[in-house]
Amino acid sequence: MTVSRLLVVLFAALLLAGPPASAQRRSMPEEARVYILWPYDGMAIRGGFWVRMGLSEGGIAPANVEKALTGHHHLLVDVDLPAMDKPIPNDRNHLHFGLGQTEARLELPPGRHTLQLLLGDADHVPHDPPLYSKRITITVLP
Amino acid sequence: MPATRRLVLLVSAAAMGRAAAQVPAQDQPQDPGHAHGAPPPGEGQAATPRVRVPAPPDAYCYIGWPQDRQVISGTRFKVWFGTRNFGVAPAGVTTRNTGHHHLLINVPLPPLDKPIPNDRNHLHFGLGQTETMLELPPGTHTLQLLMGDADHVPHDPPVMSKRITITVRPGRPQAMASGPQ
Repeated sequence: MTVSRLLVVLFAALLLAGPPASAQRRSMPEEARVYILWPYDGMAIRGGFWVRMGLSEGGIAPANVEKALTGHHHLLVDVDLPAMDKPIPNDRNHLHFGLGQTEARLELPPGRHTLQLLLGDADHVPHDPPLYSKRITITVLP
Repeated sequence: MPATRRLVLLVSAAAMGRAAAQVPAQDQPQDPGHAHGAPPPGEGQAATPRVRVPAPPDAYCYIGWPQDRQVISGTRFKVWFGTRNFGVAPAGVTTRNTGHHHLLINVPLPPLDKPIPNDRNHLHFGLGQTETMLELPPGTHTLQLLMGDADHVPHDPPVMSKRITITVRPGRPQAMASGPQ
């Protein structure tokens, strides 16, 4: 009855709060840095283009590969940073490079777009502290 | 005729490399602008046959920075490793279509059926790094990327970059101007 229901609610609340998940986040070297090598911030581009992803002082590993001080790139297109204690969403605004790719060919409609890199660990969860690049703005010309 | 078959495989690997428009000018470091020299993979390879890990024929590496024939001021500079149609993984990881970078400095390609040597001319990036800071004395140097598999052996066909030539000048280090112009 009410007591058992209360317990269930409490248990569910504990699960939702999920403190163990954030406690397990992996780390990268302190001086590690993620950046977009190409294109430049503010650049105007015509047609499709390659995005080159930079990582200083750390290693790239494919998704699901457990290896200290490594991660794989995620490219955020026209979207804010996601929650840092959960797996990065996988959709057209959050591109995953789980094979360990360091560049991507993008075809975006004409207009202004933002790009930002966010490194994820073997389970696609950002590191602690998270490693993300500056969010840059580009303009795709018609 | 295993020897003949191997030769045929090697020749086809070279042809695929040529098709991918990424043929290293390994025999002509002073003429890196013309990618016409297919790698001569036949030499020194017959001794220890090893089943090399396959790679897609369109996979290759490139050096995104510095660029071929670039003159660099300052003896310390960053090298950015580009990988196309292929992934990066630390040494020891056997994920398909991945490898880790080796930067060859002032040396020709090593034998492609053996682990890449590990010395000051063959730098290993076994953590899965995609860039490095180099410190080279003033003068002309060549750089080339060669992917290795989990055991540091090149793939089949090898995933590698063109061999570029740079000139290092003494002076104040310059900021890395990223990407192609």
